[in-house]
Amino acid sequence: MQAAPPGVLIANSSVSTGSLPTRQPSRPVPPTRGPGDPSGGTPDPPAPRRLPTPIRPGAVGPQDVALIVVSALSSFCLVWVVFYQLTSLTGGLGFLVCWYAGFLALTWFGTSQVIERQVATDRVAGILVWTAGLLIIGIVIFIVAWVTYKAVPSIHWSALFTKDQRTLAASDPNLLNHVGVLQAIVGTLEQVLMATLMGVPFAIATAVYLNEVGTGRTARLVRTVVTAMSGTPSIVAGVFIYSIFIFTGVLHYSGFAASLALVVILLPSVTRVVEEVLRVVPSGLREASLSLGAPEWRTVWSVVIPTARSGVVTAVLLGVARIVGETAPLIFTAFGSQVLNANPLVHDQGALPLVILSNTHAAQQVLIDIAFQAAFVLMSIVLILFVLARYFSRTKSKKSGRAQPTEDDMMARYFLPIPIERSPE
Amino acid sequence: MTTYATTPPPPVPEDVSGLGHNRGTDFSGEAGQIDADGVHAWFSGRLVLAGVTLTMEKSKVTALIGPSGCGKSTFLRILNRMHEVVPGAQLAGSVRLDGLDIYGPGQRAMETRRHIGMVFQKPNPFPAMTIAENVLAGLRFSRVSAGDKGDLVEASLTKAGLWKEVKDRLGELGGALSGGQQQRLCIARALAVKPRVLLMDEPCSALDPTSTLRIEETIKDIADEVTVVIVTHNMQQAQRVSDYCAFFLAEENLPGRVIEAGRTETIFGNPTDQRTFDYVNGQFG
Ligand SMILES: Nc1ncnc2c1ncn2[C@@H]1O[C@H](COP(=O)(O)OP(=O)(O)OP(=O)(O)O)[C@@H](O)[C@H]1O
Ligand SMILES: [Mg+2]
Repeated sequence: MQAAPPGVLIANSSVSTGSLPTRQPSRPVPPTRGPGDPSGGTPDPPAPRRLPTPIRPGAVGPQDVALIVVSALSSFCLVWVVFYQLTSLTGGLGFLVCWYAGFLALTWFGTSQVIERQVATDRVAGILVWTAGLLIIGIVIFIVAWVTYKAVPSIHWSALFTKDQRTLAASDPNLLNHVGVLQAIVGTLEQVLMATLMGVPFAIATAVYLNEVGTGRTARLVRTVVTAMSGTPSIVAGVFIYSIFIFTGVLHYSGFAASLALVVILLPSVTRVVEEVLRVVPSGLREASLSLGAPEWRTVWSVVIPTARSGVVTAVLLGVARIVGETAPLIFTAFGSQVLNANPLVHDQGALPLVILSNTHAAQQVLIDIAFQAAFVLMSIVLILFVLARYFSRTKSKKSGRAQPTEDDMMARYFLPIPIERSPE
Repeated sequence: MTTYATTPPPPVPEDVSGLGHNRGTDFSGEAGQIDADGVHAWFSGRLVLAGVTLTMEKSKVTALIGPSGCGKSTFLRILNRMHEVVPGAQLAGSVRLDGLDIYGPGQRAMETRRHIGMVFQKPNPFPAMTIAENVLAGLRFSRVSAGDKGDLVEASLTKAGLWKEVKDRLGELGGALSGGQQQRLCIARALAVKPRVLLMDEPCSALDPTSTLRIEETIKDIADEVTVVIVTHNMQQAQRVSDYCAFFLAEENLPGRVIEAGRTETIFGNPTDQRTFDYVNGQFG
């Protein structure tokens, strides 16, 4: 490997300068690339197509890795000495935070010495956003794994989805054989479904008003109100429905009352996201539609919303995700029940968040197990909903049924190296 | 608020079907003539176009030329009531399609736009629709029955010079075409509703020379059946495709006006106004 001239950084000099010269003498191949090239006058079998080794300019090279590893190690040692030996602080979290800060500082310092300051700043910024991304993945995996770990061993699959809690008695040693969370699953599904059916069309209509129809002062007022509404604490939404409908005797405690409270929460968040999504639909499409003689509602219905479809689906998913785990508004509205009640219009109804709420603090281990099982079921429902929604919202070419290439496919098409044809040797 | 025409209603009976008569599924319907009379335009109170009086002859190609910002697009959009889509836009004057004032009382913008189609500078096929659906979009939107849809798709795409390239890909999405193909798809989409006039706002400015020539051929082909008004910055293109030409100019701090209009040969070969001569010979600004 040749030494780079001083002051010039060649990030992957090992690839770009080292591999090409060494390979050519080791395997004699004709210098031409085309198959069937007559070499020596006799028709040879087609020579294997040789492509140059692909390189990625700017890829992370050994020097970069070394810098980062050395920074991490020296920061660890330094902080360990300062933290535990000199100041005799304690606590793992504090140590981690100090280690990370020291790591960033050393990386910046080292890079700016070895390379230059611009690169150092760029690299530290890169490390920060990578950390954020990895941290999110870590947190999600941790939550999912933890709940699964706590819930699954105690689950009796035959009872979980088929039995409610009417025979719940904490002293029963075989409790989990005949107690499940059926009533809560049914309740949550019904409440969320009703809230979605009521809230989503309303939210989309409001977003269309804000983005396509409303102008000037009224639209601004509506937008402000929607924003303020999204700040409503969810317990207030519950109290609101309780005092308006239940306290006055218009409605019973019921799944329907719960779904009304959930609509109050769902509405503003879906509205705002859909509005943002509609805003990025190019205005040229609206003009094209209008200039074909389409009425405005047609333009929105047949051009704007289909164009924004996947974004609208995302908005709805975010809204559903927002309400599916809401607990506070259900306390005053669905009230919770240990008995299966499939009718959402009358009587108390169970809900998974309420099962979690009422069992997590129980003294008996078996009740705590039930809480974790409910959490596990809730997570699974959300996951299944998301996968289904994504599956059905894929943009498809209708006649041929061929999925439109995603952005990733396009990237892959352009950036993956061309597959090398293997010759039968 | 839109300022409507102050001219007396033209001597045409209050018969909306004068615009809306059925032309069948073939392209042999007659083209229309547009008379613009004393057209003024404002954006948020600022006058950008003053006193444009221009006749766009039936079955002919009229080119609108002029430097940037002189109001060509504004004028074109006034001709099919797209101007009023812009918030704060106002206008005065009258525009008549075959004698019927399109801004007259009782005239609906939707109806007008169905008879005066438009092709935009940037190709804008509907990305969520297939190629065939794009062509049929106008009919679907205005709920006009099309007769045989397959025939209409083929006829429109053939008119636009795209049929051979896409006849096996009609089920693919409109966005899967190249830029030039997309623009021709937009032309096919505009032609499918059988307009009497087709307005084109710099339809070739984003295209390569080959696609440009294809579209120019298309324009010449469709000209007997539909009157074409085209805005272009390309002097050669104006000479190649147009029969008539109008030179727009907005002098400093003044609204845009028509300086000179007439047969294309005259405008390019023997203009009466010095400014026209300078502009068409590239000696302007
Ligand atoms: N939406 C709008 N709001 C405010 N002013 C506008 C708007 N559209 C156009 N104008 C103004 O109206 C004038 C005429 O614009 P227009 O788009 O008609 O010019 P043009 O001749 O088509 O120019 P170009 O050749 O660059 O397309 C310009 O001064 C422009 O700034
Ligand atoms: Mg323009």
